[in-house]
Amino acid sequence: MSKKKKLLYPFYVISHPFDGFYEVRHRGKGSVPLSLFFIFLFGLSFSLNRRYAGFVVNTINPRHVDSRAEIIGIFLAILLFAAANWSITCLMEGEGRFKDIITIIGYSMLPMILVFVPATILSWFIAADEEGIYYLLLGISIIYFAILLLIGIMVIHNFGFGKTLTTLVLTFAALLIIIFIILLLFSLVNQVILFLQSVYTELIMRA
Amino acid sequence: MKRNKFILIPMIILMLLINVANAVSVSANANVPYHTYNYDYWEDIYYTPAAYVPNGNISGGKLEIGVFNSPQDIFVGEDGRVYVADTGNNRIVILDNEMKLERIIEGFDNEDKADTFNAPSGLYVTEDNEIYIADTNNLRVVALHEDGSLLKIISNPKSEVLPDDFVFSPLKITVDYADRAYVIAKNMFQGIMAFDENAEFTGFTGTINVTITTSEKIWRRFSTKSQRERQAQFIPTEFTGVDISPDGFVYATNIDGEGQQSIRRLNPKGQDVIKKGMVALSGDLTWRLSGDYSGASRIVDIVYRGNGIYSVIDKTRGRIFTYDHEGNLLYIFGGIGSQEGTFRNPVAIEEKGEEILVLDAYRGEILRFLPTQYGRLINKAISLRYDGDEASAVKVWEKVLELDANFELAYTGIGKSYLAAGNNQKAMEYLKLGMDREYYSIAYKRYRDDILKENLSYILTGITILVVGLTVRSLVMKRRGKGVGEDE
Repeated sequence: MSKKKKLLYPFYVISHPFDGFYEVRHRGKGSVPLSLFFIFLFGLSFSLNRRYAGFVVNTINPRHVDSRAEIIGIFLAILLFAAANWSITCLMEGEGRFKDIITIIGYSMLPMILVFVPATILSWFIAADEEGIYYLLLGISIIYFAILLLIGIMVIHNFGFGKTLTTLVLTFAALLIIIFIILLLFSLVNQVILFLQSVYTELIMRA
Repeated sequence: MKRNKFILIPMIILMLLINVANAVSVSANANVPYHTYNYDYWEDIYYTPAAYVPNGNISGGKLEIGVFNSPQDIFVGEDGRVYVADTGNNRIVILDNEMKLERIIEGFDNEDKADTFNAPSGLYVTEDNEIYIADTNNLRVVALHEDGSLLKIISNPKSEVLPDDFVFSPLKITVDYADRAYVIAKNMFQGIMAFDENAEFTGFTGTINVTITTSEKIWRRFSTKSQRERQAQFIPTEFTGVDISPDGFVYATNIDGEGQQSIRRLNPKGQDVIKKGMVALSGDLTWRLSGDYSGASRIVDIVYRGNGIYSVIDKTRGRIFTYDHEGNLLYIFGGIGSQEGTFRNPVAIEEKGEEILVLDAYRGEILRFLPTQYGRLINKAISLRYDGDEASAVKVWEKVLELDANFELAYTGIGKSYLAAGNNQKAMEYLKLGMDREYYSIAYKRYRDDILKENLSYILTGITILVVGLTVRSLVMKRRGKGVGEDE
């Protein structure tokens, strides 16, 4: 597949999700770097929307918008979700590989990337009782994302609809376990470091 | 080496700038012993000029009548006299308009017997200079004429709604134009007790409803009876302070540990009709959770200052919060401390002329505060707006903005007047700075309509050209298609 085709493929995917995601899994038409780039773009458009949406619809304190932290946060959240989903679907005979999961998440975000920036620009030209259009646009793109993600998980793992929902619920459980273990690890490592520190101080004081 | 120099110069400039910025922010509040700040739209703190500055104090020692012993209430009469309930010394001290000692009431003549007070902790003086004294430990309210002779005594209220073992121990009192007395009594959680002019108990006003959250409800459902008995009971909070406006609305304060609502404005039916603005009517919006001066503000007294403005005092951090009739927070000043102009245990607040008086029970002092230019301008602008004279308020708001460019209410005020004058662009600018989305939208709509109207001919021409162009293009394409077909 040529580079240009790879770049345009996500647009095919969002209009033909079942076929599109199938070919991502089985014909190698997806691209992980492109997917990561989409995630980055989404983080950027999300931050742009928070910071530059019109006065009438923007109730976010501009002092609290930190696009770097937001983009990193989105990456971490997606990594966590993908890891949790992968670990669950592996056990449940899902066919998707880790790179497929990352790819479908990134590709599913395309509608939001396409809508957020134009919606932000639109928001500069609306008054208080016309907010509906703006929120409708955002809402549609978010729902579209959710549907694409659901179909993506379904297709790449070759699951039925019910099984997909079950794995999603289990994914969130796994997510919580992963967070718990990370926190546990942090506090244990912290304890070890403190212990070593106190040993060091003890030695210094004795010498 | 060369590189280093290039880095060094901007560094030095940067450091200088930081220093200058620090110096400016410090000097803005250097002359008062407390922080003066306010909350912006985002509920972030920003520092303001001082609205009021300390102006000395008055103590029992200075008046040469012996120190005040834990005084609990002050009141300023219509004629400017200041009445102090000197609780620990069982006396009422009256100062004249110049804050000089006028006389001391130690007791009164009760049906030909000399009677005294026992820990009087609240008082109110009517327009006719009748003094109402909450004589707490004698379990009664004593009303005296101006000359000190007995007018009436309110004691031992009888009613079906009162429990049989109820002990009437009044703490604070206020009286309306029809001589109805509103009394805050100790351990009375059902509301403020109202008495008619014949000293008969008529009922409660301003009952605070207990709010139980859903999680608490569920938790209680699952706990056993003995567990339930041991859990904290849901008791409504007690009122702490009370004042009355000339039109008969009772302003009352209560302690709210959640910091949601500590101020109530009760109509004659006893319903809370206070108008809430952007902020919670409960003093500080944010606070430390532990340590010194932590927790929500404990509002202990209120003074209605006319034109819809009222001030309350917070016991936790010794701050005085002033609101307007729409619930906007106007300015904050005061603090706990040992310097002159700070409090140890503030218990009561009053207004005398343009001065604010605060009674400190621990120090036994009345602290006086005088408005600055900043405070005066805000008071004036709010008063003008309260009277509906928004046009003259604009000039005052502009002066306020010269002193405090962050004052959102001023921007809104100016913006609205621009809107009324038809200058939509200016109105949008100011209303945006004042964070008023509703009026901004009105201004923006008018502005947008104007632009559309002005350019209507261009837009219509554009659309016509576009339509004609497209039609022609499609016709040509059809022709050409036909032509091609003929050629083949």
